[in-house]
Amino acid sequence: MRHQTNNLQGSAKLNPGFALLALAGFLVLALPVFALLTRVPWGSFLEIAISESVLLALEVSVATSIISAVISVLLGVPLAWYLARGPQARTRWIRPIVIAPLVMPPTVSGIALLTLMGRNGMFGKYIYEATGYSMPFTTTAVIVSGIFVGMPFLVLVLESAFRQTPIELEEAAATLGAPPAKVFWRISLPLAKSGLIAGAVLAWARALGEFGATLMFAGSLPGVTRTMPMAVYSAMESDQGSAFVVSAILLAVAILVVFFLRSNLIKTFAR
Amino acid sequence: MIVKKVLALTVFALAITSCAINTESATQTPASNSDTEITVFAAASLTQTFTEISNKFELANPGVKVTISFAGSATLAEQIKQGAPVDVFASASSSAILSVANEITNPKNFARNRVVIAYPSANPKNIVTSQDLNNKDLIWIQCDHQVPCGAAADKALAVDGVTSQPKSLEPDVNSVLNKLIAGEVDAAIVYLTDVFANSNLKSLEFSNKVSAATSYSIGTSNEASSSAQDFVAFVLAQSGQEVLIAAGFDAPPN
Repeated sequence: MRHQTNNLQGSAKLNPGFALLALAGFLVLALPVFALLTRVPWGSFLEIAISESVLLALEVSVATSIISAVISVLLGVPLAWYLARGPQARTRWIRPIVIAPLVMPPTVSGIALLTLMGRNGMFGKYIYEATGYSMPFTTTAVIVSGIFVGMPFLVLVLESAFRQTPIELEEAAATLGAPPAKVFWRISLPLAKSGLIAGAVLAWARALGEFGATLMFAGSLPGVTRTMPMAVYSAMESDQGSAFVVSAILLAVAILVVFFLRSNLIKTFAR
Repeated sequence: MIVKKVLALTVFALAITSCAINTESATQTPASNSDTEITVFAAASLTQTFTEISNKFELANPGVKVTISFAGSATLAEQIKQGAPVDVFASASSSAILSVANEITNPKNFARNRVVIAYPSANPKNIVTSQDLNNKDLIWIQCDHQVPCGAAADKALAVDGVTSQPKSLEPDVNSVLNKLIAGEVDAAIVYLTDVFANSNLKSLEFSNKVSAATSYSIGTSNEASSSAQDFVAFVLAQSGQEVLIAAGFDAPPN
């Protein structure tokens, strides 16, 4: 089937009106990015990129998004496995809850996190009373926001990768005496490797770009909770050069992620 | 198929991340068939008063519809520089309106306000002087430095010798206020008028009220209609001033 699709590619005849709409669609997406690039101060790019405020934001963003992605993998792999192979009567109800943060407005995510973990939150209140610890305004809060918005991507992609694995292979291994854990580590997970990588990269990119939930839940303090998207927002009003430099860096990351996912997935799934 | 699905997701993810929050806008629906529409950009701290003033203005001027966009003055100034359609700009500081001198002409002071240290009425942390902010167990926040409420806070805090750091530099005063009302912070530097409007809050003045003060300015764009000029006059006249003073603002300096 895939071969057929490939053979047909390039042969479609579009009527002019349709092609015009396609072009308009492309321009809607491409022009803003082009406009952004024209405003980046390329001459002083490096100088601005290594200025203190940009480096601080870069540091916070890189560290928190990587930790968010690692934790998303640790928790998301078992969850994706359960959704792919667990009893449908239950996964039917669990799946929408797991995916919901993906389509939630970031401000709603921020309020949800505050309501749970804030000083007056459902859990946060007891933690604060018992230990004096409150999560908002900490780097941990940035990481938690990243997990909340990023992990659904990993679970979604990995679950579908697990489903692609022929269940016969797992059954055969089990028949031959392999314990379930061994089947998972030696067969299921290796076969879903590309899904795992793609999901982890998506979860990381989503955590890196998070703005609304982080601002509401973690606040914005340079070196502690101010991530690159928040630095862009703050600098747009005072120091536009650095706003555009940080935007360009985030844009480059976004493009790299898209290309990486594309080649990575085609390599694995088009065999 | 999977490839396409994942690509779609990627694009989707990047789209979500670009959602910005905290530009609160309020729109008044016209009471009558409107021929004229004026767009007002107003500082976040004017949310209640300007909503009320514009309602009064619309009643007094049938056929004119006022649309207000509230946000941090620095954000609004930036939007104006980028060519946002605006007839009237009311900023929380003179410097914010002067930064758009090419677009907004003839600015006039129309009110004064000052930042104070706000805390919950019950005062669980027993805040009695500004020095209490230096207490390590106390969590407090303020506006970011380039926003008028942040600039005033920086000056007032320096005069009072507060050396501790805020836990967050928020993009506008409403964002600061929301976190205080939610109970996530012990104290916050907000405007006196914000405390006025919230019965659950009390405030403590800085020792130097002059350094804590900010002057609100209003001006019209170059191509503004006569209705926009009327709106500015309405704010400067008793009709607007009584609303502002009732909300705790001070009259502008003469």
